[in-house]
Amino acid sequence: MAGKIKQMIDTIISQRAKDNAMLAGVIKTKLMLKGIDPGKFTPQSPDDPAVIGKLEILMKEL
Amino acid sequence: MNIKTAFSVKPEPQEAVADIQSQLKDFDTRLIIFFASSSFSPDLIALGMEEAFPCAETFGCSTAGEIVTGKMLTKSVVAMAFNKKSIKKAKVEVMDLDKESKRVFNSFQRHFNKPMAKMSPKKYLGIILVDGLCCKEELIMDKIGDLTNVTFIGGSAGDDLKFEKTHVYANGKSYSNAAVLALLEPATEFSFIKTQSFCQLPKKLEVTKANEFTREVFEFNGKPAAVAYAEALGVSIEEAKKRFMHNPIGLVFEDEPFVRSPQQVKGDGMVFYCSVKEGMELSLLESTDIIASTKKSLDEAEAALGGISGIVNFNCILRTLELGQKGLSDSYGKLFDKTPTVGFSTYGEQYIGHINQTATMIVFK
Repeated sequence: MAGKIKQMIDTIISQRAKDNAMLAGVIKTKLMLKGIDPGKFTPQSPDDPAVIGKLEILMKEL
Repeated sequence: MNIKTAFSVKPEPQEAVADIQSQLKDFDTRLIIFFASSSFSPDLIALGMEEAFPCAETFGCSTAGEIVTGKMLTKSVVAMAFNKKSIKKAKVEVMDLDKESKRVFNSFQRHFNKPMAKMSPKKYLGIILVDGLCCKEELIMDKIGDLTNVTFIGGSAGDDLKFEKTHVYANGKSYSNAAVLALLEPATEFSFIKTQSFCQLPKKLEVTKANEFTREVFEFNGKPAAVAYAEALGVSIEEAKKRFMHNPIGLVFEDEPFVRSPQQVKGDGMVFYCSVKEGMELSLLESTDIIASTKKSLDEAEAALGGISGIVNFNCILRTLELGQKGLSDSYGKLFDKTPTVGFSTYGEQYIGHINQTATMIVFK
């Protein structure tokens, strides 16, 4: 399977930033510091369970 | 004036507190943040500040040098006082680093009657002061970042380069292996400065083997870390060890470096002052002009806010050491001579995450 990580990143950014570009930048930075570079993931990226696990924790806090 | 600073270089805690109290005697202090040299007894300075300002929330930490309006100091206590017109509401909490952080956030939620996840980062700001020898700043900042969009900014407490024990202070008590978190609702606009004085070099170092919890990197680009770092600089490992302060590495995102400073070569790996994770692509950085870049950041913040009434500066000890080596400490202090300022030389800075060789600042309009 592929594309789940990109989908999760987009969901996190849109739900937390709510169209606020400054906040979207901060959330992307938080992801970078977690070791997840949002720019590296595309709809074709494989579903890495380790990355998905990190993103699931973040989504739970929304 | 709704934000006022005071400082004392009197050596005894009781005398220093009395000195600060007298400088703030006509001010309606509701919140006070203070930074004290490790030359002061932690228990006495924390209790003294609490007793001197009974109507205020008091919090702070030990330092590796202090900053106050126009000056860089040592063996002093510096304080910034806020009245009701500058801070509407504040809550100070202590987090035991071995325990769950949710209790602190639940307390904030009760005090402000709002879930942390719903608080606007434009209306609220958080200050975090952490035991500077705990090595847990990344975990704390990561957790805070998951729970809220409110910006928490701050520094890791110091002990004047003894690296024995650091302290954070809250409402009359001193703590180690702890963090003090203050959630504020300022009455004025505020913004943040994150400034580091480095340019990005083209060499990249990808972390291929690391232990993020011990802040050790074993391999960059599939080679022993020390070897790869020295090769990137084009020097021997022995020479590379002398370049740590001048050439740290950074996680660069949209041209903004989040600096990771090397601490030592261990075997053929490297230990850093903050963690790096496997898979991160890091850039080699080169030191530039601290005075010029800090002035530029201050000027930009002043222009954006239309004036500044107070600054809290969390300035990395490595920047302080570099300024001292270059004879620029006075020049750095003078960057802050127009505006009420307090700050300290930290063992690490907090802003979004945990970083090194950076100054993070709160700027109040």
